[in-house]
Amino acid sequence: MIAVLGLVVGVVAGLLVRPEVPAVVEPYLPIAVVAALDAVFGGLRAMLDGIFDDKVFVVSFLSNVVVAALIVFLGDKLGVGAQLSTGVVVVLGIRIFSNAAAIRRHVFRA
Amino acid sequence: MSSQDETPENKLRAKLPEEVPAEAPERPSPEVPEAREASDAPEASREAEASKEASEDASGDEPEQVGPTLSGRQRLVQGLWPPRLSRAQLIVALLLFGLGFGLAVQVASNSDSDGALRGARQADLVRILDELDDRTQRLEEEKQGLEDQRTELENSSDQAEEARKQTVEKERQLGILAGTVAAEGPGITLTIDDTKGTVEADMLLDAIQELRAAGAEAIQVNDVRVVASTYLTDASSGVSVDGNKISAPYRFKVIGKPQDLEPALNIPGGVVQTLEKERATVTVERSSKIVVDALRAVKRPDYARSSSQ
Repeated sequence: MIAVLGLVVGVVAGLLVRPEVPAVVEPYLPIAVVAALDAVFGGLRAMLDGIFDDKVFVVSFLSNVVVAALIVFLGDKLGVGAQLSTGVVVVLGIRIFSNAAAIRRHVFRA
Repeated sequence: MSSQDETPENKLRAKLPEEVPAEAPERPSPEVPEAREASDAPEASREAEASKEASEDASGDEPEQVGPTLSGRQRLVQGLWPPRLSRAQLIVALLLFGLGFGLAVQVASNSDSDGALRGARQADLVRILDELDDRTQRLEEEKQGLEDQRTELENSSDQAEEARKQTVEKERQLGILAGTVAAEGPGITLTIDDTKGTVEADMLLDAIQELRAAGAEAIQVNDVRVVASTYLTDASSGVSVDGNKISAPYRFKVIGKPQDLEPALNIPGGVVQTLEKERATVTVERSSKIVVDALRAVKRPDYARSSSQ
């Protein structure tokens, strides 16, 4: 419950504060958000499976974000930033979909 | 994925969660973690068939399963209510706060109206700039070409205007000769009143010849324009000019120099004397403005072609 509250408070704060995104972070933010979404869906699925562990969740969340940002950074340095970030988004999207399917099975039994 | 769900096989699998509670008590509880994992993993992966490693992050090392096995839905409800203030919940809340914050910031910065280019990466910006440069150059070239063309057209249209003026002028002059346009100017009016019916075509032709010799530029007899191809023949009561029958009095309107035309007609033994000998009444009067307005249709020669090219 508190976790859900945290998400809601975060969204509200982001909308209210509207901070300027620093130029350094700007290219990485969208990918990081998608990676974090993937981790959240994974965590939700794990919770429904009854195997949720907060430590694992924290580590996977942070490592997802860091790795995604790293890939984008590396892609930019290599000159294939656009393609690589597309690839990352595709992979994360597939994972989110499969996790969502598992969650759906749990929640709706279908 | 959803199409796969509809196959009967998958429907069977979907019932697995109900089977799990029945199975669970039979399982010996103090199992080695690896062995339990081995027996548990297939079920979990069958549940989410399409995603073999989807929840690897979170599922790998969860060691214990508390109490009687709960269904996913029960776990979800339990997790949501009542709210428990634990370290795990706080940490997860913190992370989710970060996620929500980033999400909102990103969405907000993306939906800025002026920010069409803000989110673009450097390579894209460079490409856009290059494209714009190319486009500017292309448009500049096009503009240059069009300006050249305009200058050219202006020059040529000046020339064409001049040529057109000359052509119109020439057409007027030739039209007067050919009888296709009306003409006006100083001249004389020659009226031959033939009460006795003695005037014949050759006399009128003599008069026309005399007038031409004296420099007449445009002649009309009654309502017929006299041109180069004009012919006169005798008709039953009068004269036929170019096939148009005319009768006395014959009225010649002539444009030319009056001081030349009138003496030319009046010379002794000339036109006037000859006609008066035939008892016709002839009057010649000068006028500063004669209007020759009988017209003649433009006729294209059938055989004669201009040989000057």
